[in-house]
Amino acid sequence: MGNEATDELLELLWILREEGEDRLTEVLQAAEAANAEETLRNMAREGLINLRSDRVILRQEGKKRAEEIVRRHRLAERLLWEVLELEQRYIHPEACRFEHILSPEVTESICTLLGHPHICPHGKPIPRGECCTKFKTEVKPLVVRLIDLEAGEEGTITFIVPRSHSRLDRLLALGITPGSVVKLHQKRPSYVIQVGETELAVDDEIAHDIYVKRGIERKGQ
Amino acid sequence: MHGHGARGGHRFRKGADRAIVLVGNPNVGKSVVFGLLTGQYVTVSNYPGTTVEIAQGTTGFHGSRSVVIDMPGINSLIPMSEDERVTRDILLKERSQVVLQVADAKNLRRALLITLQLAEMELPLILDLNMTDEARSRGISIDSRRLSDILGIEAIPTVATRREGTDRLVKELSNPRVSKYTVKYDRRIEEAVGKIAELLPEQPISRRSLALMLLAGDTSLVPWLKAYLREDIITKIDQIRQAVQAHYPDRLSYVINQQRMEAVDSIMKEVYSVTDKTGTSLAAHLSRWSMHPVGGIPILLGVLYLVYKFVGEFGAGTAVDFLEGVIFGRYLNPWSVRLVEYLVPISIVRDLLVGEYGLITMGLTYAVAIVLPIVGTFFVAFGLLEDSGYLPRLATMVNRLFKIIGLNGKAVLPMVLGLGCDTMATLTTRILETAKERILVTLLLALAIPCSAQLGVVLGMLGTLSLRAALVWAGVVLGVLLAVGFLSSRFIPGRGSDFILELPPIRIPQFSNMLLKTAARIEWYLKEVVPLFLLGTAVLFAFDKLQLLDIIRKAASPVIVGLLGLPIQATEAFLLGFLRRDYGAAGLFMLAKAGQLNPNQTVVSLVTITLFVPCIANFFMIIKERGLKTALGMVGFIFPFAFLVGGLLNIALKYLGVSL
Repeated sequence: MGNEATDELLELLWILREEGEDRLTEVLQAAEAANAEETLRNMAREGLINLRSDRVILRQEGKKRAEEIVRRHRLAERLLWEVLELEQRYIHPEACRFEHILSPEVTESICTLLGHPHICPHGKPIPRGECCTKFKTEVKPLVVRLIDLEAGEEGTITFIVPRSHSRLDRLLALGITPGSVVKLHQKRPSYVIQVGETELAVDDEIAHDIYVKRGIERKGQ
Repeated sequence: MHGHGARGGHRFRKGADRAIVLVGNPNVGKSVVFGLLTGQYVTVSNYPGTTVEIAQGTTGFHGSRSVVIDMPGINSLIPMSEDERVTRDILLKERSQVVLQVADAKNLRRALLITLQLAEMELPLILDLNMTDEARSRGISIDSRRLSDILGIEAIPTVATRREGTDRLVKELSNPRVSKYTVKYDRRIEEAVGKIAELLPEQPISRRSLALMLLAGDTSLVPWLKAYLREDIITKIDQIRQAVQAHYPDRLSYVINQQRMEAVDSIMKEVYSVTDKTGTSLAAHLSRWSMHPVGGIPILLGVLYLVYKFVGEFGAGTAVDFLEGVIFGRYLNPWSVRLVEYLVPISIVRDLLVGEYGLITMGLTYAVAIVLPIVGTFFVAFGLLEDSGYLPRLATMVNRLFKIIGLNGKAVLPMVLGLGCDTMATLTTRILETAKERILVTLLLALAIPCSAQLGVVLGMLGTLSLRAALVWAGVVLGVLLAVGFLSSRFIPGRGSDFILELPPIRIPQFSNMLLKTAARIEWYLKEVVPLFLLGTAVLFAFDKLQLLDIIRKAASPVIVGLLGLPIQATEAFLLGFLRRDYGAAGLFMLAKAGQLNPNQTVVSLVTITLFVPCIANFFMIIKERGLKTALGMVGFIFPFAFLVGGLLNIALKYLGVSL
């Protein structure tokens, strides 16, 4: 992942391009960094962009990198907004940090976790990743609360919110651990779940705290 | 538990060469294996200082005698319940023991979590893979030889109910091995375990396992620590623990168990496989239906009806009539009266034994001729429901309803039992997890759950009135149950417990197991409950002799006549009701029969007496289980409250001009 100044400019160029803007003067004005012009020249030398008269045009390599950065940023925004429920004003600055540190694997996991979202919280399009096209049919979010499953559906436990230590210990002793496959039998009058051959009736509160990936991911078996 | 340390090791021996300790998850057929090993005479007792019941028997093969100890079902050896603590304590203290772990083959994963902990203790261990028939029918196969090799102990597939594989089990018991399997934990944990183990004394179980328990922060080990280790060493162990804990976001007990579970999963991969499941069985369909939000209700009503037919009609009717009317009325009581009159010259002692409030003529007659057939038939019905797997499903059906009154579905078990006998039910509140729940259920049982004896009289009286009268009675009592539950769950300090209830498969109960269980319960009833009936009778006798009854009668009449609007003669009935509410109800029955109560008065008096503390034996049971202070508090609330509700009903009926 190149240096941060380059990344910032690539991101900016992408955003301006979305608005149909590619004039050098506009780019320099929008750029926050003082030495933006120098950075742009370096980028041109690296073959990321073309500088023609007063226009800045992303080349193939630059376009690809810009797309990835924007994708990371907007996915991060969505993660912060939707899952972590952060306040609006924190989302953008935090996401700016995320865009530089997320590895392709983590990005893909976030995208899958969020159910391959198309737009960011501000309504801008999130560039599609490989994972989005590969699992074209998978539109439901992968990680949901156990209570979001339909009766009869199965899921693989991803994590359990540790509201009390003794509860975690107890669930573990009954085989309810991250990685186990759980089947939701019914929601009313009480939640009835099954892990392996163990069938349990549990409180709503406990079912709320168990997060699962839809479907079965048997490890080894 | 202080002072049980060294002696505790011999408590369960009585001359036997060694102890075979049966350990396993709940519902794995442990008691069936226990029955096969011991066969003959079995005693059930409480583990000292606890309410946990432990069955013991002896077995003799290959020339040696062993005592077999059947532990309650457990899910972990880092105790989260009293049952688990007692099991761990016995393993910790018992010398020259063999552990026989009974596993449900289809739930091998959970069983292995315990196996690895037992292996860690370095105790001689045999693993019984029971119920392999159920596993097979679900397409599960287990490579028991491979499992045996991995663990370094015998793993024997059995179907204990059909005695399949049990011969081999008995054979291997004479030569058990210590497992060589060790779970490798994180470097940090291993280092800490090493350091702690060095500080520990020699014990029946390995130092490594003890060190792991201490590292997991098992607080139930504190008495043991204090008995064996110096203060500074305890502090040192705690420092090591905290230093390791600082590296993990989760609590160490969870981290350790999770790493054990990983080891279990890697074993599972090698020995456990599932082929395509063969359709849904009838039992699975029944299970689904019994918990269906709509379909479950007729099943529930059907079950209750059958229980009523058996306990209410056969037990409380036919059997009581025979025992009370024929056995006691015609033979035992007249005989004992004659015998006592012949043997005892002192009249007050004679009265105490065979008088109006005599220990034999009233106390024993009551406990054996009236209550025993009721609780006996109830035990059979309860055992059937228990072994068939219906009870936890019933708890699942009513969980949300019970949440309203600050309880969870598990509380339905003592509540249902209360319809048989509240005294017994108060004792079974032990199955509830928190002190708050136990107090709440004890209170509700004493206040608003009529026992079968009382229910019989009340229904008999209401039967002569209109349906409307019956509905008013039931509505008020149910309303009181919900309102008092709702309010007191907010006032009683403490917290409720999680509702996590295992639902064993629906099974056909096994006759021999039922027999064993019912016999053990009846023995327990005779030992624990009957003395309380006798004590209650003695108190009644004293009241009568000191003529306290007359004094109370005079004092109480303003309430009876003024507040409840009943004739003065009803006072006597309520007075009796203080001691046994069904006697009180019977007194009212006589009054109504004599035409001294109109329908409104009947309903008011019935509501009032239903809300009384069930009987003096129940009161003693509350003292025994909850302590004197709590018991007095409850009684101090219940009686005035019962009169208050009765009074309000009286006023409401008058004001609204309703005549029932």
